[in-house]
Amino acid sequence: MSTLQAEHVYKVFGRRPGAAVRALRDGASREELRADGVTAAVIDASFRVEPGEIFVIMGLSGSGKSTLLRMLNGLLEPTEGRILFDGRDLTALSRRELRHVRSTKISMVFQHFALFPHRSVLENAAYGLEVQGVDRADRERRAAEALELCGLSGWQDSWPDELSGGMQQRVGLARALATDADLLLMDESFSALDPLIRRDMQDQLLELQKTLGKTIVFITHDLNEAMRLGDGIAVMRDGRIVQQGTAEDILTRPADDYVASFVQDVDRSRVLTADAVMTGPDTGAGCSCGCPTVTADTPLADLCAVSARVPHPVAVTGTDGVVVGTVAQDRLVAFIGDEHRAPVRCEEAAA
Amino acid sequence: MPRLNPGAWADSAVDFLQRHLSWLFDAVSAVVTGLYDGIHAVLSAPAPLLLAGLLAVAAWWLRGLLAAVLAFAGLALVDSVGLWGDAMATLSLVLVATLATLVIAVPIGIQAARSPRLGAALRPVLDFMQTMPAMVYLIPGVVFFGIGVVPGIIATIVFALPPGVRMTELGIRQVDPELVEAADAFGTTPRKTLLRVQLPLALPTVMAGVNQVIMLGLSMVVIAGMVGGGGLGGAVYKAIGNVDIGLGFEAGLSIVILAMYLDRMTAALGRQVSPTGRRTLARARSAATGAARLWQHRPQPAYAVTAATVLALLAGGLHTFGGAGTGTAAAAGPGKGRTLTIGYIPWDEGIASTYLWKELLERRGFRVEARQLELGALFTGLAGGRVDFQTDAWLPVTQASYWEKYGNRIDDLGAWYGPTSVELTVPSYMKDVRSLADLKGKGDRFKGRIIGIEPSAGAMGILKERVLKEYGLEGEYEVVDGSTPGMLAELQRAQAKQEPVVVTLWSPHWAYASYDLRKLEDPRKAWGRGDGIHTLARKGFAEDEPEVAAWLRSFKLDEKQLTGLEAKIQAGGKGKEQEAVRAWLAEHPEVAEAATTTA
Repeated sequence: MSTLQAEHVYKVFGRRPGAAVRALRDGASREELRADGVTAAVIDASFRVEPGEIFVIMGLSGSGKSTLLRMLNGLLEPTEGRILFDGRDLTALSRRELRHVRSTKISMVFQHFALFPHRSVLENAAYGLEVQGVDRADRERRAAEALELCGLSGWQDSWPDELSGGMQQRVGLARALATDADLLLMDESFSALDPLIRRDMQDQLLELQKTLGKTIVFITHDLNEAMRLGDGIAVMRDGRIVQQGTAEDILTRPADDYVASFVQDVDRSRVLTADAVMTGPDTGAGCSCGCPTVTADTPLADLCAVSARVPHPVAVTGTDGVVVGTVAQDRLVAFIGDEHRAPVRCEEAAA
Repeated sequence: MPRLNPGAWADSAVDFLQRHLSWLFDAVSAVVTGLYDGIHAVLSAPAPLLLAGLLAVAAWWLRGLLAAVLAFAGLALVDSVGLWGDAMATLSLVLVATLATLVIAVPIGIQAARSPRLGAALRPVLDFMQTMPAMVYLIPGVVFFGIGVVPGIIATIVFALPPGVRMTELGIRQVDPELVEAADAFGTTPRKTLLRVQLPLALPTVMAGVNQVIMLGLSMVVIAGMVGGGGLGGAVYKAIGNVDIGLGFEAGLSIVILAMYLDRMTAALGRQVSPTGRRTLARARSAATGAARLWQHRPQPAYAVTAATVLALLAGGLHTFGGAGTGTAAAAGPGKGRTLTIGYIPWDEGIASTYLWKELLERRGFRVEARQLELGALFTGLAGGRVDFQTDAWLPVTQASYWEKYGNRIDDLGAWYGPTSVELTVPSYMKDVRSLADLKGKGDRFKGRIIGIEPSAGAMGILKERVLKEYGLEGEYEVVDGSTPGMLAELQRAQAKQEPVVVTLWSPHWAYASYDLRKLEDPRKAWGRGDGIHTLARKGFAEDEPEVAAWLRSFKLDEKQLTGLEAKIQAGGKGKEQEAVRAWLAEHPEVAEAATTTA
């Protein structure tokens, strides 16, 4: 499996991009450049994605996340910096070599599905293999397998416009999986779907990732989605990565006000898990009472349900059943409310 | 503001090209003619109704039973009005032009879609091509390619190219960029992206472009008819020239039938070849019920092919395919089957003398092609050697400007009739107008208008530049440019209502026999002396055909003979000129005797 790495990547649109990058390095702001008609889409982005990891790049529209994604498979060429994949510098490859990498190693899933309306579901799923030059029988077999993996067996002969949005995106996913690429780039792939379907697709993606072990770079503007999917998350603003870390890092220790304001809308009870709240195992909870316990990755929402029925702090157990910590109810409430100050007297609270 | 002279530049550019690139034009001409002849040979081989049947089967397959029935009815109508041959000539012309246009337009459109800069550079060029009136480049086309189908086809290509390019460009640009990106993201090469994604998805728009190209081609057919393109356009042009409303309507109707057939078929073909279109079609058909189902019924391709094959075999079995196209008679007499081309303008003395010579020469074993042309095309055709001779040149006065330009490349075989006169004429109920001088001060009654003929006619130049000035009519009267048929129609209308009218007319003309008219006297001799009607031949004709040249040189008709012949042709009606000539010759054997006896 291969590691994906971005090193000080810049992408500038407009005239004399090289000069613009130098100006940015010297501390020029994005606005100053815009006055000259130059758009700095990505500024000094660096990150590393380990094999089998889901890495989420999150940001609002115009933050440069889609541009960054398109540099990862060479659809756009970085103005400066390197993209290393599988030990090779993608920016140094010829067009031909790049096309080869795209057809075999890196595949992509699009926001609006980008299915070919003149091809059947099966032909769509087989597209990447067709480009590789795989013979017909073989590619149809593999495409059918990919469709089955995505829960679309029986729809092979349908046409894209006969499917619902969710099913269309499953075709898009099957098309990306069929080539057996190691790296999957997903560009806001679930943003165009209904909330319920979106949730389904997220679950299915996590499931697939568990079984197939693909490396995935996922773009989204939805922090909830980022938190649900991401092993690692990078938050982008105005072309720069402003914070990188796990979901919990970002939620509990936002790097700046911008990230903090973002985090406000997140359903913390679903993102945070027991290990973020728990304190040492010695703070008072008996463990011999036989009360229900939780594991370290239990979301706070589920923890609340347990805590409501247990008269003392809930025990958090490790995989081997050993208690690794406890969660007191007041601490739980404080975390979900994002209020870390201690309780005060009534008069002070009223003030 | 100094007078810039783009016109002179264009003129010398045309001269230059003609002098130095004639090999290229000849090559283009040969290719286009070859294509045209090939397609025409195929189309005119089967019997008309059989081909109509084949075309109807195509309609059945592409659109359904109703379309097939209507197609057959329409095409049978074309045959029944006797225009089938013309229709096939027109169809061949349109097909060749469409083919050539697409071969040029689609690649250009694709390039333009890929490169915005090329697209932007092309736009004004395309605008120029599309809006420049066709007649403007048709005449240079004749200079380069000679009269016949080629300049018509070239003009059609120039005219139809812009929509072909634009629709291709538009179709490809319209393809969702995300789809192109998807293809790119899977490592598709640009060429395969074009073939697998962009072109299939652009196909409906490209086919709409094809449709446009064909329609524009058909609309150019009439104009092509003016430079000897023949076909339905020639029929329309001839009908206009003779104020033959019936023939005009029939030829026009035939063009409409062809246009509708081609339009509906290409539209259906567009849906048929595009995968998305095919699906919509299938869905619509499965939703249809009852009678609609029957009318929309379409055979399996296999049945359609079988039906077409059966019809084709039937054609073979019935020996309905024409021979190789060699003439049946001919070959007797001194002509030995050699082909001569006579050009003529549809003026009455032109038609009369041309068909007279056609008949006389055919009796002597020549094959004669009579081509109706516009005046400018006729002179350029003669100068370029594409027409052997013409018998209707008014010299030295009326067509002096043409003689000045082309005289050194044309031989004058002398006048066979004269003198002629050109005059302004009023109906004889205009009792107080007897001379040109009487027109002065009466502008109000004539609404200030003198009804003219074709602005290219020499008489019009003399009228505007000399006659009006001489009699002080400038400012009071305006000469209305138009056409001979238009002038005659106006004269007829005014006669019926007894309204004042003054028209430009010439003698000899049958109008003097048909209406009660008065030629206005010209005391100041502003019109100049009369012309002779001359026979002009291409340079070298007299050497190639000394006997014919000698006959033409000694040819003479007097007024009684000419007007008698004209009247006979008028009475004979459309398409029967040669029969009328034969009948007239039977009454005047001495003319035939005198004309083709070598002294």
